[in-house]
Amino acid sequence: MNHGQQSGEAKHEDDAALTEFLASLMDYTPTIPDDLVEHYLAKSGFQCPDVRLIRLVAVATQKFVADVASDALQHCKARPAPFVKDKKQQKDKRLILTMEDLSKALREYGVNVKHPEYFADSPSTGMDPATREE
Amino acid sequence: MSGERAQEDLAASSSGCSESYEFSHAAAKAAVAQVCESVGYEHFKDPALESLAGFALQYILQLGKTAISFANLTGRSQCNVFDIILALEDLTGDGDDDGGGVSSESCSLGRSVKLKGIVDFVNSSEEMPFSQPLPRFPVAISKKKMMIPSFVEIGETPPGNHIPLWLPAFPDPHTYKETPMWIERASDPRGDKIEQARQRRKAERALLSLQRKLVCKISSGTRVWGDMDGVNEDEGELRSVPPSISGEKVESLNRDGLSVVEAFAPAMEAARDGFCSEVDTEWNKKKKPDALSKLRTEKKFLGEPLDLSLKMKGEDRPLSFVREEDRDDKRRRAEFILRQCMENPVDLNQL
Repeated sequence: MNHGQQSGEAKHEDDAALTEFLASLMDYTPTIPDDLVEHYLAKSGFQCPDVRLIRLVAVATQKFVADVASDALQHCKARPAPFVKDKKQQKDKRLILTMEDLSKALREYGVNVKHPEYFADSPSTGMDPATREE
Repeated sequence: MSGERAQEDLAASSSGCSESYEFSHAAAKAAVAQVCESVGYEHFKDPALESLAGFALQYILQLGKTAISFANLTGRSQCNVFDIILALEDLTGDGDDDGGGVSSESCSLGRSVKLKGIVDFVNSSEEMPFSQPLPRFPVAISKKKMMIPSFVEIGETPPGNHIPLWLPAFPDPHTYKETPMWIERASDPRGDKIEQARQRRKAERALLSLQRKLVCKISSGTRVWGDMDGVNEDEGELRSVPPSISGEKVESLNRDGLSVVEAFAPAMEAARDGFCSEVDTEWNKKKKPDALSKLRTEKKFLGEPLDLSLKMKGEDRPLSFVREEDRDDKRRRAEFILRQCMENPVDLNQL
């Protein structure tokens, strides 16, 4: 009974916190616009007149993108700097979002976006000439 | 490529493109670029940015799909916050060896790790709204105009019981079949003939009355001619130009019942040897009896003046050589009129 009461109280607290959070969402404007999120949610069948839920999804997506981007940034910073002549050049390291960093970051999320290193004309390109049929 | 370039792309694509996909994709790219900028990136490679934007969109789509499926499982058609929380858990609920993931406990704020993370994110991160104003899309072109109205809307009954009323109506037959272009008026040949006969009778009646008047006037004799002259002199001002003779004739007829015969009688006499100048003036002014020359009565009465002229010939002979020049002119004119009258009999039948 006590446990039940406690869980009941906890639930109430949780619900209150949730309500409060949703209310705070109205103050916070996510970077991804509401219209865009609503459009794509409608594409998948999600239809809801409540703006707070739309904002919740937008915020969740923003968090996802931010996480991936920050991981990629870590990879970018971790890469050893190229050979520099002056000390000034070393400091002005350009932070560019590249496919390499992105693929490394996304691999942790279970997404494989590895680019092929080169494009071959035929399946036998690059093979030992002795084994190639002529 | 900086974040600003992505925004330029958005502006360019939003102004020119018509496909909603391109527009929404460009908008997503700009938003993702802004998020990356807030993380710390200054420049972006285009393939990397495009793929990241694609992932973000896929994230949204997957979230929505999972959320709606959870809602449907419980018998609802609209999602609520718990569906979204469950979907969040489901989407990234890997790494939990306890068999966690989706459970009733994880619905609450306290238990849901993902949701906590989001709350923290909201509290910690800076608010950075989308930089450009986004128009409401997809733009709804007034679909009322483009949509085909249903059977109910246009008040048509569908051909066949198997077609429900709320379906769009069939196109008009003139769009796929050759239909007559003119509106066929109900032809009434009998009615037309009756109308034609009535009009002919009316014309005949008018002619008959005119004929009666002519007969009366002729029987009264030359006195009428003298009167006619007097009347004509009085009516001098009314006669403007010889060509306007038909009008004059109608006027004089209305007053005195002067006839075509009287006009032609002098002409006949002048053609034979002239008669008198008074008649001449009369006859000159009534040179072109346009409408009245076509009267049927003309044929009948031509005979009488001839008789009269023959009688009077003997009396006039002594005078003839005095006015021979005048008579030549008269004769020529008379002949001209006669010729016209002879030719016109063809038209008489048309009446």
